[in-house]
Amino acid sequence: MKNNGNLSIFANGILKENPVLVLILGTCPTLATTTNVFGAFGMGIAALLVLVCSNFLISLLRKVIPNNVRIPCYIVIIAGFVTVVEMLVKAFLPALYELLGVYLALIVVNCIILGRAEMFASKNTVGKSVLDGLGMGIGFTLALCAMATIREVFGAASFAGIAIPFLADYKIEFLVKAPGGMVVYGLLIALVYVLTSGKAPQKKKFACTGCPGAEFCKPEACTMEKEEA
Amino acid sequence: MKNLIKSIVSLVCICSVVAVLMALTNAFTAPIIAKNEAQKANAALLEVLPDGGSFEEIDLSTYTLPKTVTAAYRAENGGYVVKLTTTGYSNGLILMCGIRADGTISGVACLASTETLGHEKTYGQNLVDKTADTIMSVDIVSGATKTTGAMRDAVRDALNATIILGGGSIDIRTEEEILADNLAQALPAANGEFEKYFFVEVVEGVDAIYLAKNQSGAVCVVGEQFIAVDAEGNVITECDAALAASVTAAVETISATETTDIDVTAYNPAPKTPLYYVESAKRTATGNYILEMRAVGYGILGGDSYHPASGEYILIRVSLTKEGRIIDCLTLSQAETDGVGSVCADEKFYGQFDGKTQDNYENVDAITITTNGYKEAIGRAFEAVKFLEGEAQE
Amino acid sequence: MEVFKTLIVILLSSVLVNNYVLSRFLGICPFLGVSKKLNQAVGMGVSVTAVMLLATAVTWPIQYFVLDRFGLGYMQTIVFILIIAALVQMVEILLKKFSPSLHKGLGVYLPLITTNCAVLGVAINNITDGFNFVESIVSSLGCGLGFLLAMVLFSGIRSRIDESEVPRPFRGVAITLIAASFISLAFMGFAGIVDKLFA
Repeated sequence: MKNNGNLSIFANGILKENPVLVLILGTCPTLATTTNVFGAFGMGIAALLVLVCSNFLISLLRKVIPNNVRIPCYIVIIAGFVTVVEMLVKAFLPALYELLGVYLALIVVNCIILGRAEMFASKNTVGKSVLDGLGMGIGFTLALCAMATIREVFGAASFAGIAIPFLADYKIEFLVKAPGGMVVYGLLIALVYVLTSGKAPQKKKFACTGCPGAEFCKPEACTMEKEEA
Repeated sequence: MKNLIKSIVSLVCICSVVAVLMALTNAFTAPIIAKNEAQKANAALLEVLPDGGSFEEIDLSTYTLPKTVTAAYRAENGGYVVKLTTTGYSNGLILMCGIRADGTISGVACLASTETLGHEKTYGQNLVDKTADTIMSVDIVSGATKTTGAMRDAVRDALNATIILGGGSIDIRTEEEILADNLAQALPAANGEFEKYFFVEVVEGVDAIYLAKNQSGAVCVVGEQFIAVDAEGNVITECDAALAASVTAAVETISATETTDIDVTAYNPAPKTPLYYVESAKRTATGNYILEMRAVGYGILGGDSYHPASGEYILIRVSLTKEGRIIDCLTLSQAETDGVGSVCADEKFYGQFDGKTQDNYENVDAITITTNGYKEAIGRAFEAVKFLEGEAQE
Repeated sequence: MEVFKTLIVILLSSVLVNNYVLSRFLGICPFLGVSKKLNQAVGMGVSVTAVMLLATAVTWPIQYFVLDRFGLGYMQTIVFILIIAALVQMVEILLKKFSPSLHKGLGVYLPLITTNCAVLGVAINNITDGFNFVESIVSSLGCGLGFLLAMVLFSGIRSRIDESEVPRPFRGVAITLIAASFISLAFMGFAGIVDKLFA
């Protein structure tokens, strides 16, 4: 990744390297929490907070953390921030906590966060890492919200819980069910491919080495992306 | 070696820093979370007892309460909220019942149910402001008798429970238990085994008669009183002479009843006479009719994946005067959907037909396939009696 | 008898009705990534099941006898993820040492499992659902088998997709997700079956 300045670091995550729609990371929360916009936005912001904080701390400690125990250290730091965010949400937004349930705790195993820690924060300055975290987090939030909007408006005839009366008779309930999420996600990925005319970066360049499964994954899952490019 | 120590030290440092961070956040958020949760629990209680303030759970282990009561909370203002678990159609109808300090009901909410018709959502409204004395006068919803009846009985249990919790004592027996106790008390010789007598004659002055299964006598119910009669027909319960006379007369009437069979197959199967749905018929010496009717309910007409059709008729025994007035009515057998159609086997349902004639039997509420079929069968009984009377005249 | 009924209901509902991959969306990454060939799908599914069982067997007592006892409930996430990571590491070392053949078959899948949210998910869900130890084990077994079932079914579909001419924008993940939705749709048919099993 060549850095052409701070702005592009920030902007990369939002569209060109959108973690959800281009890099296909964090699929589980993307599918599970997008049945309504409120939940999707909450999930996005929670992940954004964890991402920024962990990027900040890991970048700050990048010269202190020994190379051979870096992954456990990252996991501990990320899990710590996830728990903090979880407790804050539980205390101040109990409604959101009930909506997200276990998926809030599962931010820990969201590959976006570990991937950014390994790929970016451990090699770049604090400022850049925070910017990267912000960009990726906002990209994640936007993608989740876009998907949730489609699913909630057409599937439940409401937006963030506010009913849309004229659509009430034309609800496509399939969309808010599990299979509907997969279809919407698939269609959005295809749409982004068309919009970026197939110039999206390859997954393995970006985050795979951050994944503990990279060794195995490379020849298999990642070739899926490679074949296309 | 140096590397290893460095790794361990940095890992331990990071862990402890993160642990401290978490502990701090926890210390900060724990009271707020606890408050939120208490508020949420309180909100559920406030919903049924709006001016309750704060609540305190009561330890129920030291009280003998009706079985339906699973938890109780005492409110600041002296009211109670009682949590009840009862059985309607399916298992587990969970109710919250708020009771004000003066013993009136402030609200009933249904927390969880898998009932079939959904009356439990709205029926609680009918119980608001009632007390232990007036609650049984609230009508249950016909066609959903099992659900709403169970709800009303559970709420009555809640009222009784609050009286006990307040230090009073009260009869917590169910209606059936009270009846059984009264019968056993009136005629100990029967060993508590009774069978309800099916009236075939118009008997004045007696509401119901229970025959002892061991032939040791009978108990007549007159209003609130239980008058026992021994096997020879002598009144053995102390009561005033007029009452004793009417009981004796009633017992004499029923023991003198004689019946002759009518061959209904002679009129069936074709052409379809009014006797087509009559399983069997008898005529008493006084000219009354006892008919066993086949009613077409859900077992014949219905059937979906959840409740397959049983292919069986509902069998009803009904006695009528020759003028066409129903003396008594009883469901003999049914295989309707459990909890929905099966209310037709409940005395609260078929008891409604007593004393009805062809002109007013339509007033009985029927909303399901079963109860509609039942009503239709009763209508056919009137036609059958007319037909048989006509045959007898010829 | 009641106990067995409860256990069977828990098992069947976690395999069919609340299938982790298809209706709760946990473990989507390996589901999409490692389902290309049948033998890989089986290997991954078996490894996940084994790790789920192990993880539950360890995290359940830790939750009730350590975290709850000392009021450390808020450490759940961090403790569980570390336990799972350590367990996976340990299983890999043990397999390598004592059963090289098994390690050759399954070992490659193990590192992937640490970040598989289905494993952490099942450990946490067993606690939030208030299951006792035996119920938790049965529920983990069911979730693992459900994952295996979904993987095996999907690998069959994947091999068909690879052979067909897919429009360019849909190639890769997009068509895979849409195909997965059809399995998910089929699994929706199981809803309600388990409740009525003993009704």
